[in-house]
Amino acid sequence: MNVENAAARVENASKVYGAGDTEVTALDGLTVAFERGRFSAIMGPSGSGKSTLLHCLAGLDYLTSGDAFIGDIRLGDLSERELTLLRRKKVGFVFQAFNLIPTLDAAENITLPVAIAGETPDKDWYETVVETMRLGDRLDHRPSELSGGQQQRVAAARALVSRPEIIFADEPSGNLDSKSGEELLGFMRKAVDEFGQTIVMVTHDPRAAAWADRVVFLADGRGDGELASPTSDQILEFLKSMG
Amino acid sequence: MLRIALKGVLAHKVRLAMTALAIVLGVAFVSGTYVFTDSIQRSFDSLMSDVNEGVDLYVRGTTEFGFGGVRIDEALVDRVRDLPEVAVAAPSVEGIAQLVDEQGEPIGGNGPPTFGFSYVPEGEGLTPLVIREGDWPRSPTEVVVDAFAADAGSIEVGDVIEVILPIGTEVFTISGIATFGDAENLLGATLAVFEFETAQRAFDAAGSVDTIAVVVFPGADPALVAAQIADFLPDRAEVVTGEQQTDDDVGEFTEGLSFINTILLVIGGVAVFVGAFLIQNTFRIIVAQRIRELALLRAIGATRGQVTRMVVLEALAVGLVASAVGVGAGILIALGLKAAFAGFGFGIPTTGIVLLPRTIVVGMTVGIVVTIAAALVPARRAARTPPIAALRDVAAPPRSLGTRIAAGTAVTGMGFSLVLLGLFVQFGNAVAVVGIGALVTFTGVSILAPLVAAAFARSAGAPLRRMGIVGRLAQENAIRRPRRTAATASALMIGVALVSVIAVFQGSAKASVAAAFREDNRSDFQVQLGSFGDPASSGLSPALTADLRELEVVGSVARGRLGEYRSGPDGGLKFMLGVDGPIGEQVVFEMADGSLGDLGPGTAVISAAEARAFDVGLGDFVRVQVSSGAYMELTVVGVFEAAPIGASLVIDLATYEQYNSFRLDQFAYVQVADGFAAEEVRPAIEEVVAGYPNAKLTNTEELIADTEDQIDTILNLLVVLLGFALVIALLGIVNTLALSIAERRREIGLVRAVGMERRQVRRMIRWEAVLIAVFGGVLGLVVGVVLGSALVLAIGQGFTLAIPWVQLIVYLVLAALGGVLAAWIPARRGARMKILDAIAYE
Repeated sequence: MNVENAAARVENASKVYGAGDTEVTALDGLTVAFERGRFSAIMGPSGSGKSTLLHCLAGLDYLTSGDAFIGDIRLGDLSERELTLLRRKKVGFVFQAFNLIPTLDAAENITLPVAIAGETPDKDWYETVVETMRLGDRLDHRPSELSGGQQQRVAAARALVSRPEIIFADEPSGNLDSKSGEELLGFMRKAVDEFGQTIVMVTHDPRAAAWADRVVFLADGRGDGELASPTSDQILEFLKSMG
Repeated sequence: MLRIALKGVLAHKVRLAMTALAIVLGVAFVSGTYVFTDSIQRSFDSLMSDVNEGVDLYVRGTTEFGFGGVRIDEALVDRVRDLPEVAVAAPSVEGIAQLVDEQGEPIGGNGPPTFGFSYVPEGEGLTPLVIREGDWPRSPTEVVVDAFAADAGSIEVGDVIEVILPIGTEVFTISGIATFGDAENLLGATLAVFEFETAQRAFDAAGSVDTIAVVVFPGADPALVAAQIADFLPDRAEVVTGEQQTDDDVGEFTEGLSFINTILLVIGGVAVFVGAFLIQNTFRIIVAQRIRELALLRAIGATRGQVTRMVVLEALAVGLVASAVGVGAGILIALGLKAAFAGFGFGIPTTGIVLLPRTIVVGMTVGIVVTIAAALVPARRAARTPPIAALRDVAAPPRSLGTRIAAGTAVTGMGFSLVLLGLFVQFGNAVAVVGIGALVTFTGVSILAPLVAAAFARSAGAPLRRMGIVGRLAQENAIRRPRRTAATASALMIGVALVSVIAVFQGSAKASVAAAFREDNRSDFQVQLGSFGDPASSGLSPALTADLRELEVVGSVARGRLGEYRSGPDGGLKFMLGVDGPIGEQVVFEMADGSLGDLGPGTAVISAAEARAFDVGLGDFVRVQVSSGAYMELTVVGVFEAAPIGASLVIDLATYEQYNSFRLDQFAYVQVADGFAAEEVRPAIEEVVAGYPNAKLTNTEELIADTEDQIDTILNLLVVLLGFALVIALLGIVNTLALSIAERRREIGLVRAVGMERRQVRRMIRWEAVLIAVFGGVLGLVVGVVLGSALVLAIGQGFTLAIPWVQLIVYLVLAALGGVLAAWIPARRGARMKILDAIAYE
């Protein structure tokens, strides 16, 4: 893949937790890049390092060695504050759960990163996002008044509204029933297709991964193959072959 | 259950540690107060029993109450000495002698007394005084001073110093330096010892003595000798045993000490009470955070009672440990108090730190009982946890709004009624009733506070919204748990309310004093003590008035001397004023009847209240008891509405001196002679006053300023001591914030992940703290102004209500700053929280 066109990438990335007997290698010299404007999924068994990779790419965690880039920016060069500003400007997040601030209503949660930056959201874009996520009639509800699917859609809208270079999603449909999950992933797909948004998603669910343009497989902190626009059956097959 | 409770304590070590700290501080203050006063008492007791050792009997004038009884005839000394079984009869004259150092500054006298004693050779060894250097005074120009005064004034044997005496300022040579038993210093009191005849002259006691110390021959029965002496004693004289004299000396001292003890204990009590709010809040939060665990216990069969007991047991464990630490820390507080008092010139001759079993029992009991009582409500709430909460997020059903309003209103109403009852209906222990009423009021307001907490945070926090999302989140965080916010704020409310009461009282007192002086004062100049002094043991030398009257530029001088009397009808002790000179021309007495000008020997002018109490009018007799126990029969020649000086009985100074041996004046007011301008002749008057270094000359405006300063000094000391309660309340904010932030770990992680900077997180937490603190401050101001106003109105007597808004607003700002301070550590912790830990899934 063309490195110049990568929205995010790691080179020779290693991440070691703990020391001595309790040492755990989460990433082991991994090099991988994620292209702009595409929907990528990272898969792998528990402990394969997929969440660690996402966290290090997103500037939430540091690599032990190697480099992580968002666009051309080497994350290791940034101070804590610069990293925060980078996350604010260039990165969006959708977590598995606890995505929303309970004291803010849906609209406020969507505009949270913009508000933190002390800016006002682009009104047209905001409305487009809200409409895409079908949240128009839920904007003045607090998270406790929203269903799980609606909550995750608010989270996705929040990730989109600041027009980040890349959105990282960590098991976004993990806590949802299959219908809501499919719905959410459909919206994410739409964001990639219609707005050219870059999304990198970690998941262990082949049906979720099947929404992606490309699926990267990890095992023991190393790359273990990839599939382009696979079906969920193909993914399942691949996982079985990984053993 | 005990095991689970103990594990619960251990599992919440950190958050309970903060609670424990509140108990430790409160208990430490209470037990520290006891240790402090017990230690002083012990040293004083041993000092006093040394003092009167070897003396079998004392002959003395009677003193029923107050100060300045009567002296006894000097002729009695010989009659006692002539008794066959009496070995020694040593007379003693006592009075007040203010030492002056080389720079012309008074030594001591700023609170502690300045004693003067006489020396007779036969009394050697019978007084507490031991010569450390030099010799006893042997001539009319010699004086012995105590070691403390010698050190303070850099005085050595052979030096020449001035001493201010009732007869004027005189010069003496130091013949020796004495110690009081083993102690160098008796609570900052200074001593001057004169040769006997000199003392009689100095203390205006010609032909009389204060006491005669009697030693009987070995083998003689002191009781028999006492009976023989009693046979020829006149009225108002008595003979007592050495032990009795010791008891009286100690008793007088104990009374003064118990006053200090009470004030300190009240402040300690406030600290404990504030601590109770903190404890309750912590347990409430812990219970809320452990709801699943508690529900699980319920689901597997624990009864409600068992859950309640478990939480109470946790409280017991915390209370036990914290109280024990508190009692230990009390010793440190006692040392701190000792140092603080020493700093104010009250050196304390301690033979050691005294930790009585009573101190331990009281400290432990207070700590444990308060902890458990405070934990009871959260414990019962814990018991109401439905077992289903183990599976789902279900909070225990909150108490209904109606119940809260009813309970809060009832408790507040009851508390306030008690306060009003205590203030306006005079009876037995009104102060205690007011105090309890205030505490009940605080409790009531704290019950009501959650009802307005959210509304307050919404309106007062509105400007925060303009700061953007950080301010908005801070506001929402303060709103979302109104009960927690309210409970935290309530602790601060108590402290702020109390300092506001003081501020209202202070403002009103100052305004009233200023108004009264401006309105009622007709004198050009006033002479009063330059420092704060006990009216019973300090004052102006009467010679000052005589000197002033000799000045050509002075038209008239009126002076007054305070004394106590026991009023006939109600038996209460009140102040009387002995006056000399045209007082009515210098100070406006609002007369209801008669005139001050008619005052002369055997007559009195009384307050309208006294006239009503005695049911007398002009020309009638009143009979009141004076300190010696004697009764004065006085003809009423005037009735005044309000006394500018606070006395309710005014008599002629000659009458006063007939009944009271106190010989120092409280004030001397000066009017310049006709044809002179006050400020022009001031230097001449100043020169005379300068001869009496403890006296201070003022004009009316200066006097007002001085009086206001004095009011400030005393009340500010109280405010500083109450600062202890405020510190505990701020600890409460620290604790609540720390617990809330732990609870909001995920939220903080999330906002950090989506780009909130650390400093924005810190700012968010800080503003939340400020909102809580300002809420507490506003509640405190409201309650404080209401209670303070009630207090001022209850005092009446020309006391006008003046609310010092500026000062109160300053308090509010300080409360807000306190919030910032309290948020310091929680904000840092919140900002440093690891994002990954925060967003990690369970």
